[in-house]
Amino acid sequence: MINNTGEEQQVLRLFDQLRERISIDFVALAFQNVKGTDITWRYAAGNSNDKYKRITVRYGKGVAGKVILTGRSILVEEFPHNISGTVLDYPIMLAEKLVSVYAVPLFPFNHPKGVLLIGRRNKAIFTKREQLDVQMFAEDLESIIMI
Amino acid sequence: MEKKLVDQEISSYIIQFQEEELKRIATELHEGIGQTLYGIYTSLGFLETGLDQPEMKQYMQETALLMEKTINEVRMLSVELYPPALEIGLVPAIKSYAKLFTSTYGIIVEIESSGTPQDISKSGKLVLFRVCQEALANIAKYAGTSCASIIIEWEPSLVKMQIQDYGEGFDLKEALKKTSGLAAMKGRMDLGGGTFSAESEIGKGSAIKVSLPLEQPS
Repeated sequence: MINNTGEEQQVLRLFDQLRERISIDFVALAFQNVKGTDITWRYAAGNSNDKYKRITVRYGKGVAGKVILTGRSILVEEFPHNISGTVLDYPIMLAEKLVSVYAVPLFPFNHPKGVLLIGRRNKAIFTKREQLDVQMFAEDLESIIMI
Repeated sequence: MEKKLVDQEISSYIIQFQEEELKRIATELHEGIGQTLYGIYTSLGFLETGLDQPEMKQYMQETALLMEKTINEVRMLSVELYPPALEIGLVPAIKSYAKLFTSTYGIIVEIESSGTPQDISKSGKLVLFRVCQEALANIAKYAGTSCASIIIEWEPSLVKMQIQDYGEGFDLKEALKKTSGLAAMKGRMDLGGGTFSAESEIGKGSAIKVSLPLEQPS
């Protein structure tokens, strides 16, 4: 995990702005570590525990792993219904008891290296407008994050 | 009575067949596909040294990184299916799996082993390992806790294992009625000749307690 106060402050400020704009319970950013290939959840807000700090995103597994693998956003409307794979393939949703999430990739240097994920602990649709907002915030985050 | 014995034998056979298949797939993933991917990974590194264009070099590095991630995932998948550490012993296999479990679900697992580890049959090790895996999966799914513990006690003719969490707990009677992970654990222990019990209290957590007699050397 990177311990960069400037980066952390900027990211958390953006999280606050995002939460003012969209009604969400949880927001987190996973990003590839400077050394090695591991992708970990670097920052979170609205978390109910500290499990996210110990989770390493598995390539191709769960919401974040699939976003990194495909480079595409993923929407889960009502976990655990209509998911691909099993409940155990969704660690961050289990850890934070999320029901609806939307996750988008971060593309520094044209490769998916990170994931911005927003979630709610009840069933709630993320509107197209909200999805676009998250995509814009992800672009802002790309310029802040230390790679 | 006779029908029950036949059913048990069929269940044992099915479980044994499944375990052999899981081991075969895990070995194939680790030693077959994993090794081939590693070969490609090293070739990519070699090819990169022959590239002059910075863009192509960068592209090749990203491809190698992608390959490294895939190799890691294949390795983890193999460990989940059948941990190679099981060949060394029950405790090393549980420790290895607990490490993977923590990095996947963020739940810390404390492991305590007391007494002198005894020889345990291959099928006995597998039964206890699968129960442990199932109990941890239930903790990740339902317990809502950040830590769990596994206590293994070795006695001269018995091994006891307790998987405990201090999470939300559940209604034990209701859970046992369903075809759940609890029923699967109980079934495995019954077939393996061991005992199974579960305790849970809403708001206080739950514990799975199992024991397995050890085969005495003849």
